[in-house]
Amino acid sequence: MSTAVVEARRVAQRKPPASARRRRFLLVVADHSLLIAAAIMFLAPFIFIALTAVMTNEQALSPKLWPEPFRWSNFVDVFRTAPVWRYALNTMLYAGLATIGVLVSSIPAAYAFSRLRWRGRDVAFVATLLVLMLPVQVTIVPVYVLFAKLHLVGSLWPLILPNFLGDAFSIFLLRQFFMTIPEEYADAARVDGCGELRVLVSVFLRLAKPAIAAVALFEFLYCFNDFFGPLLYTSENSSHWTLSLGLAQFRTVYQVQWNLTMAATLLFMAPVIIVFFLAQRAFVEGVTLTGVKG
Amino acid sequence: MRRMTLAFASTIALVLVVFGASAQGAPRSAATAGSHTPVTISFWNGFTARELGLINKAVAGFHKQYPWITVKTTGALTADKLTAAIRGGNAPDAASLFETDTLGAFCSSGAFQDLTPYIKRDHLNMNLFPKTIRDYTAYQNKRCAMPLLADTYGLYYNKALFAKAGLKSPPRTVDQLAAYAKKLTQRNKDGSLKVVGFNPLDGWYENAPAHTGPMWGGQWMKGNTSNIAGDPGWAAWLRWQKKLIDWYGYNNLVKWQAGTGDEFSASNAFEVGKVAMNLDGEYRVAFVDAEHPDLKYGTAPLPTSRPSLYGSGFVIGTIMAIPKGSHHPNEAWLLEKYLATNTKALTGLSLGLKNVPSTLPSLKVPAVRKDPHFRVFLDIFANPKSSTQPVLKIGSQNQTLFATFVGKWQAGHVKPQDLHAGLANVDKQINDALKQSGQVP
Amino acid sequence: MTSAPVAGAFAATVARDRRRAKRKAAWRRRGLVLGLLSPWIVGFSVFFVYPLVTSAYLSLTHYDLLSTPRWVGLANYRFMFEDDQLVWPAIKNTLWLMVFYVPAQVLFAFGVALMLTRARRGVGVFRTIFYLPALVPTVAGTLGFVYLLNPATGPVNIALSHLGINGPLWFHSPQWSKPSLTLLGLWGIGNMMIIFLAALVDVSRQLYESAELDGAGPLQRMRWVTLPSISPVILFTLVIGVIDSLQYFTQAYVAASIAVGQSASQSAENLGYPENSTLFYPVLLYQQGFRYFNMGYASAMAMVLLAVALGVTLVILRSSRLWVFYQGARR
Repeated sequence: MSTAVVEARRVAQRKPPASARRRRFLLVVADHSLLIAAAIMFLAPFIFIALTAVMTNEQALSPKLWPEPFRWSNFVDVFRTAPVWRYALNTMLYAGLATIGVLVSSIPAAYAFSRLRWRGRDVAFVATLLVLMLPVQVTIVPVYVLFAKLHLVGSLWPLILPNFLGDAFSIFLLRQFFMTIPEEYADAARVDGCGELRVLVSVFLRLAKPAIAAVALFEFLYCFNDFFGPLLYTSENSSHWTLSLGLAQFRTVYQVQWNLTMAATLLFMAPVIIVFFLAQRAFVEGVTLTGVKG
Repeated sequence: MRRMTLAFASTIALVLVVFGASAQGAPRSAATAGSHTPVTISFWNGFTARELGLINKAVAGFHKQYPWITVKTTGALTADKLTAAIRGGNAPDAASLFETDTLGAFCSSGAFQDLTPYIKRDHLNMNLFPKTIRDYTAYQNKRCAMPLLADTYGLYYNKALFAKAGLKSPPRTVDQLAAYAKKLTQRNKDGSLKVVGFNPLDGWYENAPAHTGPMWGGQWMKGNTSNIAGDPGWAAWLRWQKKLIDWYGYNNLVKWQAGTGDEFSASNAFEVGKVAMNLDGEYRVAFVDAEHPDLKYGTAPLPTSRPSLYGSGFVIGTIMAIPKGSHHPNEAWLLEKYLATNTKALTGLSLGLKNVPSTLPSLKVPAVRKDPHFRVFLDIFANPKSSTQPVLKIGSQNQTLFATFVGKWQAGHVKPQDLHAGLANVDKQINDALKQSGQVP
Repeated sequence: MTSAPVAGAFAATVARDRRRAKRKAAWRRRGLVLGLLSPWIVGFSVFFVYPLVTSAYLSLTHYDLLSTPRWVGLANYRFMFEDDQLVWPAIKNTLWLMVFYVPAQVLFAFGVALMLTRARRGVGVFRTIFYLPALVPTVAGTLGFVYLLNPATGPVNIALSHLGINGPLWFHSPQWSKPSLTLLGLWGIGNMMIIFLAALVDVSRQLYESAELDGAGPLQRMRWVTLPSISPVILFTLVIGVIDSLQYFTQAYVAASIAVGQSASQSAENLGYPENSTLFYPVLLYQQGFRYFNMGYASAMAMVLLAVALGVTLVILRSSRLWVFYQGARR
């Protein structure tokens, strides 16, 4: 073995100088301490909501911060006060179908906007962005009248159907993500003889999994939290209410029952947190860190 | 590009079709009075839960008198929902709203049908109702609504705190009100407010120009023009208010106010003794009885700037109407007439909802008059000098514009010498809005 | 070996076939594009063009939602620019959001995402904690914050008083109401953070390694590798942030109603509390259209809002040519 190789190996095995090590350690602690501090600040309002969820209604409205006694029965009361399972089913129906619709209609559109070249593409894309800028209050009345004439008011269809016709936000987000994927992938597939559609399906869908997961998550959560939409279209028909509408039901005539509202909020968030956990793994693991990239 | 033009053209066509079609069809003529074919009508109202149950009970009484009419009630109605329903062509047969803010717009546009033919046909004597009700159920003399119970506002005072401060009876003049307020105030060691005698800040609980104005005899309009600057009552109120606010310290009041409980919870500031005197409606009696039965309190008319005004107050109420597109206007009218005038129904609703029954005769029912706290409000309701707010096409926009100015004034952002100019500016804004709405040509 | 004229004819045939093939390919591509876009074209026409055209028409009328619209020409626009005393404060408030609220959110989301990529342990837990607030329904979250920041009874001011600081009046002070809303916005940063995370994770490690080999320190790596790589996503969050700020409604509506002490169902009497500091343009628009039955005027306001949104977005997009770097797009 040549002395150069031995020397090289020793160089490689030499520990970095102490000052560099210390700096790195401090950096790690600093990073984590910032994280911990930030985490505490993020959790604080939550703890507040959680504490309110186990108070009596009077306590919830008073300056007292610590519940006494702890009314765990609030969570049971939530189920007793409202047909929670039906609301949950309606919410899942709405959110699930809407998410599928958005994916089915927006992914092809985003692909067309980002990876294909055609006349008027940029104008059409700016037009898509315009949709995002139109204030929501502007579209409400004409669209409501439209659905009323189609006799769809009173159900969740006016909320679900438009998603099958594309969603500007999702198209925008997906287009931006598609544009970060180098053309080499698509070229490689084309060289292998794939038509454009095959390129889209086999190459892009796999590479853009984090973006697609993000879009699906956003849409799902948007529908889950949507209050105004169900209020406008289903309020007369309580069998079609969603959880968000039901949440607003924890009120007597004059006041909101904050303790039950917060308890219901926590309960309703539980499945969403699970969904988030699973989705999070999906888009972290979906990223290719090795291979052709770079 | 061609694609876009095609899409564009087709949507223009769609717009025209929808608009052409949506101009409501010919109004349905009232079914001949006297036909007794069984019919079901829909009645949307703002009540929920227990109160909706009371409505249903009253409706059951109606059904007994008119057995061929079945009424299906739906609660939690808001003005938004009703507008959307009328616009979308699925309006209910009868509707009831908690506020009269939208009456002007609904009445002038025909969204609420004119009830005069029905009133004439049935020879209904409108003098059953006091002038205030007749004022807030009509827009420019077109009667589009019937009252469903009423609210009046008076003074609630904490007798225990009064005794501690050595006060025997409630204040009758606004000067007394200020003096008592100062005597009843207690502060903490650090100077912050613990108990406030009377909160002069506008925008808290029921403190609103519409409720406070009558104490100084303030009138909103002169004919069809806003006349806040021209009526000395408003300026008098604002100057009185500023003096008291300065005595408390504006920031001290805001901080104290932020710590008060929700108005309609059991931690209501008056109910827990955080404020000694409070402007509130007759419904508060029921809340106190239910939540704080041990509270020693009294009710009285609000103090006034002139003795001749004392005993009067602000009156408003829930209204019922027949929306455009109602399939059974005749039956809806019968229901609303019953709920508005039938003494037995009104008594039941009044006792259950703890609101003032809307007809003068029903005020005399002993069961209604029994509670001494409640009786005060019945008398305010019957007082001929009591007033209500004007019914405008712009709804309550005039009140909001004025309240915004009051907010600036009470924070000290308007110089005292600029008060009149400020009020004149509020008038200008209101009159501009009236012109824009078409109420004033 | 073919003779020259035959060669020429052959070349012409080949050229013609090639042109035909090209045209066919072009047609096939156009068909493909149309096919991919067809649902969106329908959605765009029905849910955008149609309401937009309707709104544009309504902005030239006085429309109270109940009777047929009454033509008034440009009167609404004239009112907006000359007589309405609330429009200018509303515009200023919305501008505040664009200048302070959006950059704060973008920076904070980026910072938090960056911290997450560098963390070694418990990343999943931290990520969930930072995302959770975004799952809270907007109304509940706003209410929670109004209670938290209550100047008299809220834990924040109580904690501050223990430290000897006299806490501000938060949602009750005209100076602090918008910063309070900003705090609420920072709390709900979850969605933006996820987007930045996905982008940061996507940055090629090889680029980092080669930069390190070239001797680049952490700041230089940020400036020359990280930021350019995720610049399309920064652009996205900026544009979305600005557009959202132009539509900011629910939090302002709920916070004003609650801070003033009314239940959230009551009429829009005190929108903008305190002293119009939370009266944003969309809030004023809603008030005019749905409370005052001034839908024609609200439509005019909406048209102006659309124009402003278009203008601002175009400016941002135009500027993006200078700082956004697309790795893989066909330009």
